Amino acid sequence: MNRKKDEMLLDVQDLHVSVDGTEILRGLNLQVKAGEVHAIMGPNGSGKSTLANVLAGREEYQVDSGTVRYNGLDLLELSADERACEGIFMAFQYPVSIPGISTAYFLRSALNSIRRYRDESEVDPIDFLEMIRSKVELVGIDEKLLQRAVNDGFSGGEKKRNEILQMAVLDPKLAILDETDSGLDIDALRIVAEGVNSLRADDRAIVVVTHYQRLLDHIIPDHVHVLSGGRIVRSGDKTLAQELERDGYAGLGVDDARAGSRT
Amino acid sequence: MTPEAIDSWTESVRATAQRLNKADDGLRGRREDALQRFQSNGFPGRKDEEWRYTPLKKLVNGPCHQLLPASTRIPVQADLPIEAAARVVLVNGEFQEPLSDFSSLPAGIKIGSLASLRKQDSGAIVDLLSSSFPLQDHPFQSLSDAMLDDGIWIEVSTECRDEVATIHILHAFDGSRGAGSAHVTGIIRCAAGTRLRVVEEVRSEGEVLGNIRWGVALAEDSSLDRVRVIRPGCDSVFHGTRVVQQGGSNFHDLMICAGSNLVRNEVNTIHSGPRCHVELLGVYAARGIEVVDNHTTIEHAVEDCTSREIYRGVLSQKGRGIFTGMIHVHPDAQRIDAKQSNDTILLSRDAEMNSRPRLEIYADDVKCTHGATVGELDEEALFYLRSRGIQLDEARRMLVRAFASEVLSGLDPEELREFIIAELEQCIPESGECAP
Repeated sequence: MNRKKDEMLLDVQDLHVSVDGTEILRGLNLQVKAGEVHAIMGPNGSGKSTLANVLAGREEYQVDSGTVRYNGLDLLELSADERACEGIFMAFQYPVSIPGISTAYFLRSALNSIRRYRDESEVDPIDFLEMIRSKVELVGIDEKLLQRAVNDGFSGGEKKRNEILQMAVLDPKLAILDETDSGLDIDALRIVAEGVNSLRADDRAIVVVTHYQRLLDHIIPDHVHVLSGGRIVRSGDKTLAQELERDGYAGLGVDDARAGSRT
Repeated sequence: MTPEAIDSWTESVRATAQRLNKADDGLRGRREDALQRFQSNGFPGRKDEEWRYTPLKKLVNGPCHQLLPASTRIPVQADLPIEAAARVVLVNGEFQEPLSDFSSLPAGIKIGSLASLRKQDSGAIVDLLSSSFPLQDHPFQSLSDAMLDDGIWIEVSTECRDEVATIHILHAFDGSRGAGSAHVTGIIRCAAGTRLRVVEEVRSEGEVLGNIRWGVALAEDSSLDRVRVIRPGCDSVFHGTRVVQQGGSNFHDLMICAGSNLVRNEVNTIHSGPRCHVELLGVYAARGIEVVDNHTTIEHAVEDCTSREIYRGVLSQKGRGIFTGMIHVHPDAQRIDAKQSNDTILLSRDAEMNSRPRLEIYADDVKCTHGATVGELDEEALFYLRSRGIQLDEARRMLVRAFASEVLSGLDPEELREFIIAELEQCIPESGECAP
């Protein structure tokens, strides 16, 4: 894959993070360049979701030490909304439902917030509808869903597709997919993966956080990292994911249940 | 409440009642009875369970016991975006014909002022009042009865069964020339099978008590859809409604109120025939030291009726909300389906909500549910919005709007709904914690 630039889009150095006094990430290092797709795999409790949420700016997580540089910025200094405006997007593992706000209104508000931040003109409702139609096709959701309240009464598959729709509309530089495969049947998984693949671009990096390898059959990563006990214990190419599928986390010397305490 | 304060109210009420009694309009007995009741009861204090959380002290001790003088001045505010078949304007309790407009009113609907009815037909007004408002110990009702002067009556006859007319009623209270109160009585009677829509608006300027009460009679299978908007900037408003519903009738009520000092809203509806439905909805906001007090009673007196009640409030700074919701299912009123909910968002630590659902159920085959929630904005939802680039203040506004929208979703037309939501939003400070 052609790289536009060789510099890092995301550079995480020696990151230590705790929640309610419990240390979850213990010296995590990760470098991601634009154009790359990285997979972060790991057993339950290894800190995968923590990493995704810390990058997205969730405030319950306490960063104890370490640095995160993103696109030349000190990421940890930015609020969640500033990060989004700077081009970070996290697809939620559990998308939140918001009764009373239509999906279309929500998406347009988000897009216009980001455009205002970038000193760009706002998109009016009619242009927005035009623009969103093509994106709706991309993720294969019913256009009527746009008029329904955000994730309210959506099926698991609809929620995940709605996340990818948001990603397509907001056009991030760095997309983080937090366990996007969880709760999806194989057809929904394929549609979501196709949506993500169509959003692969030279100027965009994608970090896929997942427990299972099956999503990686559809979204082929450039790099695979195994997270265990709050740090990355192995990195490799896509064959590492296959190795994991064959031998399990135990085969790598990583205990699924209590991985945290061993490393 | 000082004894002197009560005395000044009593004096003022007595003087007004005596003046009005000279008209010999058949209401002398009613005025005197009400004056007696007011004299012995005065205003309720905190020991009165029905008024426990309602701060009346400032109103009672203040200068509002004077009657507001006649005026034609309407406080300047953006007009509600509605199209109505008739516009009824009352200023300081007096019907203002020149400011009203009945030109598109359907033939089957009659509207008149109580002042002219008092002159023309004392028998009719006595009947109307005694059937609409039984005399009772109630401070604001007593004031209305003792000083009954003007107001409005609306009669929908079977002639206009096939159309739904909208009537816009504007109560303006002009206190620009000094503090005072005005007392307005309204009566609505819908004949069998008729439908009416009322958009009622209250505007007020200065230190003023606007005391409004309605008596509504809904005949078999008739329906009244009412929207009330207490516009921002009112001082004290009492708004009371008593509804008697015959079988198969429908009463749909939406109360909107934001940015006023003290609003007490009482709705009391009685189902006296089967298959009635009542829907009581309310959305309100209180900031600063504003208080909104909703007090409702649904009398399920007969079988096979339904009710649905949702009041939602957003309280910021030291704003206070009170909700008292009685659902009374009488013996033998079987197969009642009643739902009540009262939800509040507190945007500051100093805001306060007192929510009192009251259910008295004396029949056994009924479905009654009630729920009250009081909480802050949903943190998960806030983070979700912010993670999509929406700034904190806007995210908060969106969640408040969403909270209100669920009650307002049925409000037509859309321009009115948007207008109402925008006005509500203006009454919610950016940061709920800042000083009042």
